[in-house]
Amino acid sequence: MIADYVASGKVYLVHHDFPLPAHMYGYQAARWLNAAARVGQFQNVEAALYDNQNSWQADGNIEKFVAAAVPAGDFKRIQKQMVGCEYQGPAGTKPASLRTDPQATHGCALDSYIEQDRALGMKIPVQATPTYVITYKGQKLPAGSGNVSWPILKQFFDSLLSQ
Amino acid sequence: MNAFESSLLWLTNHGYQILLAGLVIAFLVRKPQARRAIVRAFLIFGGIVVGAVFIAAAYGKMKPPVGFAWSPASLKISLAWFAMQVDSYQVLPPRSVNAVAHFLPYFELFLGLWLITGIARRFSALLASLSLCGFMIAITSAYFRGLKIDCGCGVGPAEQVGPDALLRDGLKFLLPAVLVVIGSFWIRGKGRANESPAPEMISSGPSTN
Repeated sequence: MIADYVASGKVYLVHHDFPLPAHMYGYQAARWLNAAARVGQFQNVEAALYDNQNSWQADGNIEKFVAAAVPAGDFKRIQKQMVGCEYQGPAGTKPASLRTDPQATHGCALDSYIEQDRALGMKIPVQATPTYVITYKGQKLPAGSGNVSWPILKQFFDSLLSQ
Repeated sequence: MNAFESSLLWLTNHGYQILLAGLVIAFLVRKPQARRAIVRAFLIFGGIVVGAVFIAAAYGKMKPPVGFAWSPASLKISLAWFAMQVDSYQVLPPRSVNAVAHFLPYFELFLGLWLITGIARRFSALLASLSLCGFMIAITSAYFRGLKIDCGCGVGPAEQVGPDALLRDGLKFLLPAVLVVIGSFWIRGKGRANESPAPEMISSGPSTN
């Protein structure tokens, strides 16, 4: 989809975070991803995190996969973004707004982006993984969920774009 | 929501209640002729209710997305959207998904209209019951495979596959359809019994003894 539709400007792909409390390191992964996005490495890091989800969700070592996915210089910049965003145990997986521990007071600068996305997700409301919302010429279609194969999704894009 | 959509929604939501009331009344009435008249009346209404369910389902799948007017292009978009819902059940390959997504809404529309006309109602209601059983099996299968997807039913607001969707389909849609099937065959059977001569009439012919 990115090669055929996003690169040519036909489709805008907007990623939103919606880390679930059931996934212990989900919130931390969202922080790393947002930090990577700030240095222009979103796509590489997202692919690395998806590919290695089974590994980092067992031990929480997300940094290892981020480091392997980007050039060393970019990784240092990502690490700078992550200052103050270190994993703080299960409490750290809670939304910043709900945390009551003292560490939450200094907070993580990246959390505001994640919280904005979560608020958007609650509005839909997101009930399944994956959930997608397609907007065409300012009109939001109903949210859809579940895996959709590329030929069927492509057919839908083509039907919209042929308007 | 326009008057057409409101009427369909009302019939799909409350039609089964009226049919159940009709069933109770038919049981309470003692006179066979009056009972048959009541059943006939409720069969006509039942055909309309089940027909409305199928027309609502077809309409829900074909109607243009918000911001679009009815047109061949909008129909193409709606059916492509429905194909995504069919695909999310993860049962069929893409080619079959497309075939189902482009056939099913027209089939539902045809079946809905057939039910409302009342022509060979017992067969249209039987086909409707079997179709509903098929949809419920698909929903059950998706639910037990842990899929959290929109059922794609097209009737009323979007609903996720699961017990709620099954209960709705079973109670509001399948039950009336089955009642219409049973009622139609019962009326047909009674009609035949009245047409054929009674056994004592046959045996009371001129004796050759």
